[in-house]
Amino acid sequence: MAQVPEYVRIVEEVFERYRGKPFVYVGTYRQRWDAVAKVTGKALFTTDFLKFYKNVVWVHSVRTKYAHAIIKNIDVSRAAKYPGVLRVVTAKDIPGVNDVGYVIPDQPLLATKKARYIGEIIALVIAEDPYVAREAGDLIHVDYEPLPVYTDPLQIVDLDTLKEKPHTRIHEERDSDIVAHFKIRAGDVEKALKEADVIVENKYRTPMQEHAYMEPEAAVAIPEQDGGVTVITSTQCPFDARKAIARVLNMPQSMVRVIAPFLGGGFGGKEDVANEIGSKAALATYLTGRPAVAIHTREESIIGHSKRHPMVTWYRHAAKKDGTLLSVEANIVLDTGAYASLGPFVAWRATVHATGPYRVRNARIDTIAVYTNTVYSGAFRGFGNPQVAFAVERQMDILAEELGIDPVDLRLKNILRAGDRTVHGQLLTEEHGVGIEEAIKKAVEAADWYNKRRLYTRQTGPIRKGIGIALMYHGNSIGVEGADYSSATIIINRDGSITFRTGLTDMGQGAVMGLVMIAAEILGAPPEWFRVELPDTSSTPDAGPTVASRSTVMGGNATLVAAYKLRKRLNEVASTILGCSPDDIEIKAPDVYCRSDPSRKTTWNEVVEQSFWLGVPLQEFGYFRAPKARWDEETGQGEPYITYTFGAIVSEISVDIETGQVSVDKIITAYDIGKVINPIGAELHAEGGSIQGMGYALMEEIIHDINGVVRNNNLSTYYIPTIKDAPEIIPLWVEAGYKRGPFGAKGLGEPSIVAIAPSIVNAVSHALGIRFNEIPIPPHKIYLALKREGKTRL
Amino acid sequence: MAGSETVIQEYPDIAIRLNVNGRDYVVTVKPYERLIDVLRYKLGFTSVKEGCGRGECGACVVLMDGKLVPSCLVLAIRANGSKIVTLEGLAPEGKLHAIQKAFLDTLGVQCGFCFPGVIIATKYLLDRVSDPSDEDIKNYLEGQLCRCGSYLRFIKAVKLAVKYIKEGKIYFDLKEVKG
Ligand code: FES
Ligand code: FES
Repeated sequence: MAQVPEYVRIVEEVFERYRGKPFVYVGTYRQRWDAVAKVTGKALFTTDFLKFYKNVVWVHSVRTKYAHAIIKNIDVSRAAKYPGVLRVVTAKDIPGVNDVGYVIPDQPLLATKKARYIGEIIALVIAEDPYVAREAGDLIHVDYEPLPVYTDPLQIVDLDTLKEKPHTRIHEERDSDIVAHFKIRAGDVEKALKEADVIVENKYRTPMQEHAYMEPEAAVAIPEQDGGVTVITSTQCPFDARKAIARVLNMPQSMVRVIAPFLGGGFGGKEDVANEIGSKAALATYLTGRPAVAIHTREESIIGHSKRHPMVTWYRHAAKKDGTLLSVEANIVLDTGAYASLGPFVAWRATVHATGPYRVRNARIDTIAVYTNTVYSGAFRGFGNPQVAFAVERQMDILAEELGIDPVDLRLKNILRAGDRTVHGQLLTEEHGVGIEEAIKKAVEAADWYNKRRLYTRQTGPIRKGIGIALMYHGNSIGVEGADYSSATIIINRDGSITFRTGLTDMGQGAVMGLVMIAAEILGAPPEWFRVELPDTSSTPDAGPTVASRSTVMGGNATLVAAYKLRKRLNEVASTILGCSPDDIEIKAPDVYCRSDPSRKTTWNEVVEQSFWLGVPLQEFGYFRAPKARWDEETGQGEPYITYTFGAIVSEISVDIETGQVSVDKIITAYDIGKVINPIGAELHAEGGSIQGMGYALMEEIIHDINGVVRNNNLSTYYIPTIKDAPEIIPLWVEAGYKRGPFGAKGLGEPSIVAIAPSIVNAVSHALGIRFNEIPIPPHKIYLALKREGKTRL
Repeated sequence: MAGSETVIQEYPDIAIRLNVNGRDYVVTVKPYERLIDVLRYKLGFTSVKEGCGRGECGACVVLMDGKLVPSCLVLAIRANGSKIVTLEGLAPEGKLHAIQKAFLDTLGVQCGFCFPGVIIATKYLLDRVSDPSDEDIKNYLEGQLCRCGSYLRFIKAVKLAVKYIKEGKIYFDLKEVKG
């Protein structure tokens, strides 16, 4: 047996010690640390820093005109001579490695031989003025030899065999356009099929979704006196950005400093594109010695950053008459577009979650990610899970229909409970916290499910109501995808104020506030005393990437460890002042006293001051590394994640059968997140995830034409929900504590979107008695389906 | 084409007069410059955010002579002589306007990128409709996109702002809020 590391013991000890006890700060509604700055307009986002710099140069990206073509020649001579242009940059001007690929090195910063999608960058124009840069960009002449353009993954592979079809290879440097293949082989599917009473088999499609964060990507680079460069950029992963920029500039990472200021939304989209835009600004600074800024327009943002992978899939579920699931099979094709980005990881996560939160003993799952000539896909809130959850939850509803069982009852019969094994053979115990049954019960009760389900089954008139449910689970943190560590620093200053540093970014959903509340609880000092320092690779510790809903669990554990160690020291110092034992010290800052005799008391500031005199250091670094995940490549057996967040969503909708217009009336979300640390943050996640998921279900889809050109590259053609679309949202919580999470907490960032779309589509299918197996379902699609089935008069 | 290579230098510098948040400024601009860039980069009012540059997202809205306009669609020269209010000018230094206080108290802040626009649009709404219905609020804020999805909080915030204003609480001391 390997030794349990100290930090794991601390987390477990704190979990046991606080279990069932009242909390002072955790679980309370509080103003977040950055709220005042954000309502007064003082919060600085990347481009806002520009007002502090003079003598700035502007970087414009010249992009390809063809989605798939060989680049025969690039002529920049006219652009270079254009008045106001300082420099035109092509690949040969890059001092280091011309690559910004995230998982595999397949993505050049500046294309040399080939364009593979419509956002591909050929050259950069550096000029005194953004308008000049753009005008000069038009003077760059490129000779292309166009190649066939593939915009549908089924042009590359066959869904039945998952084999490559003959086509012009998109990545000619690799031996296949299939980037990744993951499998699950569990039990005996053939036998299950023979024993089955019902078999449900369907194909599903989910769209390419755009993050549409309100702040387009940007970077400001500043030259440093030693030849290094500081880059302020909108990134979720400052340490990854630093690594990428250092490689492009051929500099040691110590010479590159990346600062991630407030982010105007991320949702997974500000990972690889930040490496790209950060590198572009840094390169301009390196070449000109002046501050440089690169800002993507909304159109560039849409054609130039990663998306949610479109999915095409085939599923087969087999079950007994009583509803017991016997087997699940699936062929899943994810379109990763022109570059892999995080595609392989997304495909892996999709595979792990491909059977949903159910007891499935027999399974055969094959997931592949393939290249096409569409905008590349990568991370997006949910990371492969929303796609498979849509298919699985539609399958469950169709199965329920075939069996004549209520969808809730069918699910209750099959869900994972403590003591069950997942499809990967992972034993779930009380220590993981398995709260899905409770989540279903809460959501179903709040929705008055059984009544409404019956009531809505026979309706007449133009407006039809429907109610639908969907379940989800979501593995916490990154599993086998990478080095799964996190860290945080807490410094108590001599005046008693507290500095908090983490390399995890706050995309806006308030994750960092949760960390502060954890530290506050342990230290006994109010969250308002903390000053958060935003990620800066020169001062904040490397906390790993801000992805995979890992902030609360991983960042939270690192924070907890740091706070715990400091608290121990504070107790000891207080004990020397007060004369009672360290274990007897209670801190309710500003008061510090002996629990056994509260009249023996001192103050927080006195304890801090004494610590300085006694030479007790009041800064601490907390580190946490997740236990190693296990995964067998051939069978998909192992322990893919440390634990899972569970959820049940019930949606109610009305649909106008004369127009096909759906309005979502109510969404009830019940999530088991172990322990609610920051309730307002959790509620906002539930609300924001619901609204984004609603967009995914009803309106959002990036459309490429046959030439690979994006048809809807701005916000008037790519629709996202507005205030008029927002339904009533009722967030409910289950707290089935996870023993190795901070106070039992699990992540919510990504889970909050996963099961929204299927719950809505299940409700629409319920209202109309029509099976929808594709999203989005905008009015025209619903109307056509109604027409096809003769269900509308018009 | 030959001409276009020199044309840029022929664009004249034009001096315009703006009153922003109660102060007068004279700025020199190119004829093609947008109001948003002048406000942000020449005058430093960076609460005005750019989310799309095409009048689609509402992040850049300001009050121009009392009207709600997307500053990304206004040429700076067209704004000559006008009075502009941005989020920075909603309350005197050290104070919060009732609307800002209400947006704080309803705890809806997420990334906050959309907030300046949403707050300014709310000011515009409350200048016209003193006691707006849900319907009014949705109509006036429909152009303000928020991808973090704080919409439900906006509705609550507007109502709370109405309440504060009715109670005669127009400004709040920033210190008390932070304390
Ligand atoms: S930036 Fe002006 S409306 Fe979007
Ligand atoms: S709070 Fe992030 S866009 Fe509105």
